[in-house]
Amino acid sequence: MSKVRLTGAEIIWECLIREGVNVVFGYPGGAILPTYDALGKYSDKVHHVLTRHEQGATHMADGYARSSGKVGVAMATSGPGAANMVTGLATAMMDSIPIVCITGQVPRPAIGSDAFQEMDISGAVIPVTKHSYLVMEIENLARTIKEAFAIARSGRPGPVLVDIPKDLQAEEFDFIYPEEPILLPGENPVINDIDLNSLEQAASLISESKRPVILAGHGILLSGASKEVIELSEKGNIPSSWTLLGSGAVPASHHLNMGMMGMHGEFAANNAIQKADLLIACGMRFDDRVTGNTKSYSLESKKIHIEIDPSEINKNVPVDVAIVGDLKSILTKLIPLLKKQQNSSWTDKIEDWRKESQSRDIINMNTEMLYGAQVISDIWKETNGDAIVVSDVGQHQMLEAQYYKHDEPNTLLTSGGLGTMGFSLPAAIGASFYSRDKDIWVIVGDGSIQMTITELATAVQENANIKIAIINNGYLGMVRQWQQLFYDSRYSETPISSPDYVKLSEAYGMKGFRVKSRTEISDTMKEAQNIKGPVLIEFVVEQHDMVYPMVAAGADLDEMISRPVHEQFKDAEM
Amino acid sequence: MKQTLILFMQDEPGVLNRIASLVRRRNFNIDSIVAGRTEKNGITRMTLVVNEPNKAKRKTIYNNLKKLVDVYDVVDASDENCHIREHALVKVSIKPDDLKEIEDLVARGNCRVLDHEPESMILELSGNEVTVEKSIGFLKKFKILELLRSGKMAMISGNQKKNKPVLVKSEPK
Repeated sequence: MSKVRLTGAEIIWECLIREGVNVVFGYPGGAILPTYDALGKYSDKVHHVLTRHEQGATHMADGYARSSGKVGVAMATSGPGAANMVTGLATAMMDSIPIVCITGQVPRPAIGSDAFQEMDISGAVIPVTKHSYLVMEIENLARTIKEAFAIARSGRPGPVLVDIPKDLQAEEFDFIYPEEPILLPGENPVINDIDLNSLEQAASLISESKRPVILAGHGILLSGASKEVIELSEKGNIPSSWTLLGSGAVPASHHLNMGMMGMHGEFAANNAIQKADLLIACGMRFDDRVTGNTKSYSLESKKIHIEIDPSEINKNVPVDVAIVGDLKSILTKLIPLLKKQQNSSWTDKIEDWRKESQSRDIINMNTEMLYGAQVISDIWKETNGDAIVVSDVGQHQMLEAQYYKHDEPNTLLTSGGLGTMGFSLPAAIGASFYSRDKDIWVIVGDGSIQMTITELATAVQENANIKIAIINNGYLGMVRQWQQLFYDSRYSETPISSPDYVKLSEAYGMKGFRVKSRTEISDTMKEAQNIKGPVLIEFVVEQHDMVYPMVAAGADLDEMISRPVHEQFKDAEM
Repeated sequence: MKQTLILFMQDEPGVLNRIASLVRRRNFNIDSIVAGRTEKNGITRMTLVVNEPNKAKRKTIYNNLKKLVDVYDVVDASDENCHIREHALVKVSIKPDDLKEIEDLVARGNCRVLDHEPESMILELSGNEVTVEKSIGFLKKFKILELLRSGKMAMISGNQKKNKPVLVKSEPK
């Protein structure tokens, strides 16, 4: 290959294309002008999506990455543009999502002078990224971008930011793409052997256990290890439970899948964990939403932790055997060491717990007002459980986890770790660029949608094939729930007004519907699904609804609060 | 007991900022930080002394530091035969009667007179934590005008492989 005389801006696009990037979500500005100017030469290879806010750009890159498994890319200018990316970077960091954010910076001679739209973004994002760069020499530009992608997607994935001064983007350089592999100080030389000792210890613990539980986390999706986890579950007849981000790792319909664990998890799952004699944690980090009070967490069990990031071992919960490495590779070596088991008295007990909680379920009740749970259950039925669902944060998020049964990996995209309101609409737009021929449904509350509602314009501009279901209860629901339970129902700043969403959709140039009763759901959804492009449906639901069961913050995992008896409705004939 | 960690980092602008940021956001209880150049070009060496009694939490601190992209390796010197040295500069206010006592301290070793002005004197102390503390304790009888302590530097004795840092770059997987 011979050298080509290119500007820094052109080098950026050359490098992105070589990383397999074909869509970029961004917003131009002064300090990134040269790069946007060069985009014209590459517009046949890369599609740029103009967002309405840089936060939207980062969530779009994130949603794209969650859906496709590729590295998502967002681009913005210096100062306020870069600052608006911090929330999105923190969201991706907490959920281990690979994205690369490219920001313009003021020219090199001006750095540190409080220039117009100057901000030290590469310093500001240190706590919320895997790594960040400020490129100061054009000879380093291509290698830095290559490094950024390598870091984003390797090991435990995460976000990386690259800050590039404006004058460097305009500078010319004799460019030849760096073909040599990236080498970094922070990486360990390849240790191919997984610790055999730990594998044997784990195998013997599993063989001896009578009440084992598999904790299925996000790592299973990141490692592509669904098949292996299902095999482990079936070979040992081990029931499984999932974290919010582990949804779909084991199909919801699998006979040994007990459902979600944790604060709003299933009765059977939380009981099983507390009474277990062995926990097999696969790609999960014992987050506080999942454990409840760590001092009383699953005290009778031994714990095996299979995890790629060594700093997670013993961080929240002490474990007995830790196997550090790629989940898929580890399970492939572990499963042959196990013998087939029955554990039927354990699985029978779990069945009893499951039947008990199903009988109290609100979706089987006759209610005057529409309930969020019913909406989601019906959306699940109408989409044949086969949509990609992007949920936002709050009561509707928990209801989605409880009532939309995901049978495939990477079909629930939601901000779990950071819990960022406003995530869903832009993330869905991002995901629509890699939707694998599935419908994309956004499930969002009236509070959450108003945080990034401006991206409706982006959805229309791109004709993104997304269906937006707003669960409108007129409140910041989850906060109101806590105020009802723990603050004597003092609803401080939780009632929230909304615009007329149907009129708003039409103002943005898309179709909007409003649903007020359960009987309208099916027809409205069919009509929405027949429209190619973005559609919004507002579901007006019961204002004072609560998500049950609930484990209060700091309570023991099996201290679940259930729907009070006086609130249970008459059984419906379904 | 304190945990003594020796970090080896790539000499990039802002690398110390990254360590400090990690220490603060993970709430590590830091006793001292000393960083400087080494016999290898482009590599900065840091001694970090941490106050963390819990063994599991110490491993977490170690793993968090290792995770940083610019950090080559971290050696845990806590249980090794390790020399931990400190440096201090002390400016004391002195009267002519005090000079004999200062000379005695100098004669005992680990103390040097750097500077001698009519009313004040700057002494340089070095040694392990115990001797430096003792010398400072002794000097408190004179009025201490300024005290500057350097923090602890650590070096493990011998040439064993297990205590050698891995200072090569590798490919991310």
